[in-house]
Amino acid sequence: MTALAWLPRAIVLGLIAFAIFGPLANLALWAAAEQWYFPHKLPVVYGLKFWHQVFKPSSDALASLGTSVVIALLTVAVSLALAVPAGYALARLSLPLRGLIMLAFLLPQAFPSVAVYINVARIFYTLGLNGTIAGVVLVHAVHGLVFAVWIAAAAFAAVDRDLELAARNIGAGALRTFLTVTLPLAAPGIVASAIFVFLESLDEFTGTFFVGVPDVTTLPLLMFTASVAGNYQIAAITALILLVPSVGFMMFVERFLKADVLAKVGA
Amino acid sequence: MRNPRFVGLLLVAPALLAVGALFVYPLLFSVASAFTSKEGQATLANFARAYELYSVDIAFTLVIVVTSTLLCGLLAIAIGGYLTLGENARAVAILKWLYRWPLFIPFVVAAQCMRTFVAKNGLMNNSLVSLGILEPIQTTSFLDWRGIVITFVWKQTPFVALLVAGAMASLDRSTIEAARNLGAGRLRILVEIVVPQVSSTLVVALILSFVTMMSVLSVPIMISGESPTMMTVDMAFRINAYGDYGTANALGVLSYLMTGAVAWIYLRRGIREGGRP
Amino acid sequence: MKRAFKLATAAVVALGIAPAGAMAQKITLNVITAGDQNMVDYVKDYLGPIFQKSNPNVTITSVGTGPGDAGSQKIAEKIMAQKDRPTWDVDVAVIHQKMAGDLVQAGLLAPYTKDIASGKLVTSDNSKLALGAKVEGYVIPMFNSQTAIAYNPALVKNPPKTYAEVEAWSKANPKQFGYNGIKGGMSGVSFVVGWVYANAKDPNKLANGPYDMMEKASWDAALARLKEFNKTATITPGNAGTLDMLNRGEIAMGPVWVDMFYTWMADGKLPPTMKLSLVGPGMPGQPMYYVIPAKAANMEAAKKFIEIATSPAVQADGIVKKFNWYPGIDAQHVKSQLDDATWNKLFVDVTPQELQSKGKSFPIKQYFDEILEAYEKKVVN
Repeated sequence: MTALAWLPRAIVLGLIAFAIFGPLANLALWAAAEQWYFPHKLPVVYGLKFWHQVFKPSSDALASLGTSVVIALLTVAVSLALAVPAGYALARLSLPLRGLIMLAFLLPQAFPSVAVYINVARIFYTLGLNGTIAGVVLVHAVHGLVFAVWIAAAAFAAVDRDLELAARNIGAGALRTFLTVTLPLAAPGIVASAIFVFLESLDEFTGTFFVGVPDVTTLPLLMFTASVAGNYQIAAITALILLVPSVGFMMFVERFLKADVLAKVGA
Repeated sequence: MRNPRFVGLLLVAPALLAVGALFVYPLLFSVASAFTSKEGQATLANFARAYELYSVDIAFTLVIVVTSTLLCGLLAIAIGGYLTLGENARAVAILKWLYRWPLFIPFVVAAQCMRTFVAKNGLMNNSLVSLGILEPIQTTSFLDWRGIVITFVWKQTPFVALLVAGAMASLDRSTIEAARNLGAGRLRILVEIVVPQVSSTLVVALILSFVTMMSVLSVPIMISGESPTMMTVDMAFRINAYGDYGTANALGVLSYLMTGAVAWIYLRRGIREGGRP
Repeated sequence: MKRAFKLATAAVVALGIAPAGAMAQKITLNVITAGDQNMVDYVKDYLGPIFQKSNPNVTITSVGTGPGDAGSQKIAEKIMAQKDRPTWDVDVAVIHQKMAGDLVQAGLLAPYTKDIASGKLVTSDNSKLALGAKVEGYVIPMFNSQTAIAYNPALVKNPPKTYAEVEAWSKANPKQFGYNGIKGGMSGVSFVVGWVYANAKDPNKLANGPYDMMEKASWDAALARLKEFNKTATITPGNAGTLDMLNRGEIAMGPVWVDMFYTWMADGKLPPTMKLSLVGPGMPGQPMYYVIPAKAANMEAAKKFIEIATSPAVQADGIVKKFNWYPGIDAQHVKSQLDDATWNKLFVDVTPQELQSKGKSFPIKQYFDEILEAYEKKVVN
């Protein structure tokens, strides 16, 4: 009886698992396939030939991975530095045109960016920022800022005001209250927003090309070229490597994804 | 210093300045070029050309993104609903562990996964054929606009579900319990009690997804060829094949207007709730 | 730091007071390549080490910008964005025909072919004119390539020999012909251009000029038929998409680049039974060009690099033998470096005679743009 009751559940969960892990398994298969052609349902020859190609000494896959991770981490730092004060103000202080300010952060996500990055590059060349990690970080940080700001605002909004008032009542100043009460309580939500900024940065290659290349190359850039050119094995391997920092970061951050903060995002 | 409005603006200023200097300022060049002819005169010709050449794609972009957004919303409600109202603790735990994965996968990687997964003889159809669910003759390729929708939904549903489930989890459970005691079914509780209370979070999550999907280039370019395709591909093509920034930027402005319409929904919502959380 | 150093080196060289030791200092030569990954790897893994043997002080960075005109466009934009800087961060670029003409006209490239030995080994038309634009002195072809129709002999018993036969075959076998439209890479563009050539009054006029504004009206009927044709065809995602769908048995026929076709087969990504057919009246091919931006930071090293890359020995061993491309410099200089078997491998499915009679060039720029735009307007939208 209990086994029967589980059947529909198992089927639905199985289908969901297939939908979610099917594409990923597919990626793993391609990464290990040396030959795979029709009508074979699975690769004809498995092997590591293409792994050697990706990791050969002259290749910059590993160096690019390092650059990508460094850029992503710096992007997170810059975004959070900008987002924490902004988020606090948006959540706690009365601002004129609050809705419009919130929307302003959405802007970099909203306009298809190919055309804009060319202009960014033009400006950066005159500033000497082109071809520097700092330049790429700035571009990525602005692109991911909407997540950082919206989620930081939600995190601050979720902090119980009574606790702040209690701190103020026993004589703590505004800054001290913020640093010892509000910020620690909002911290999990703010850390959670980092994952989205991190991912935005790992996903971005158009801006990187215009602002970073040839001095700065990142892994997504290599992957996009390989994939468009149909090097499915190389693209799959690169994609798998790219998953390492994403999933690693997720493991670290996941415990900070708290329901009460998520409930207030964008509010 | 004591004026909270002033302090607030001061705190928001660095972030706003960053967006202004690194995005809005370069963006103005783009917008200006959309309204300028090659000879440097003000014109609407770029928009006329954009419409003449890409009216089908403009419509399809909307169809694709709206469809994906709605599907994301429905699936996210289903997932969040089950996580909140599900009675079997183990099934809830499994689902909770399962659904988040695509969230952490960049679009480029997702597109690469999908392009070989949903192909006619890709792993999806092959698996279904091997399981006897499909006959080989019935398999079709999804590498067209449907593939784009599938990829978007796959990638964005967890994001929406994460926010929605968070909102549902922090609801006051007493109304749910009360309704349950009165004998209401779980579906009815979900639709009539839970969803209305999380609608604000749902809308925000969907807006973020809508905007993200509008501006992604890698997915349409890697999944589907053309006819019809999305405006980002046309923009890139316009620049790459003809060096025609005017028309590309006109398409960009149109795309921005679409997001603007969605943003308007957001603002309206803010006003209705008094603009404060 | 690196940038400052590059500037310093360039300044010294520019003033012509380079002390003997200065040139032996470390230089980074930035080579940016439009095109597929195999071209980036070619520079990085094959050319780089050869070049460094004779120039140990030079490190090569090789970056790819993706296939098709999109790749060339990105390079052009990168140069354009730093137009007013004293030196640029691109030393050698590999670009497509269309962009070569534009860049020469905009004065963004340096003439260099007179200064290097291999400049004399190239006399082909496409080293002088790129889609009607004068580029003589500014470019040397890295290689030439050609498009053709690939097909699976197991599914196609009588491969079509002309565009008319392709049209008829696709009608009889719906969804079995696949190509990538015009937005996903040049093999689809090539198929469309070939279609217009096949139906034009005077294809030579399209390829060589002169430009006539009224010409485009005469394509309407052909494009209307192409619209019908598209209904029975499969549209694939990109050059690679077509090859992939052939590989996966999802289509039986489609236009591909000959070099990509052979490389994929060698990599085990196409069944070894696949064949090519260059259909009449003809399909276009094109070279990729080596160019040097006008303010390249390492001009002398760039020239040396191209000189080695276009030497007969490298063209024979690298371009022909390892990568299945048709040589960029004149064939007789390359053929003498190779045994007959290797040379003939290039011509298994497409004979030199066919290449001579059916290998076309792309139309001059004005017609080219008009054909693409007419396709967007009348076929797709």
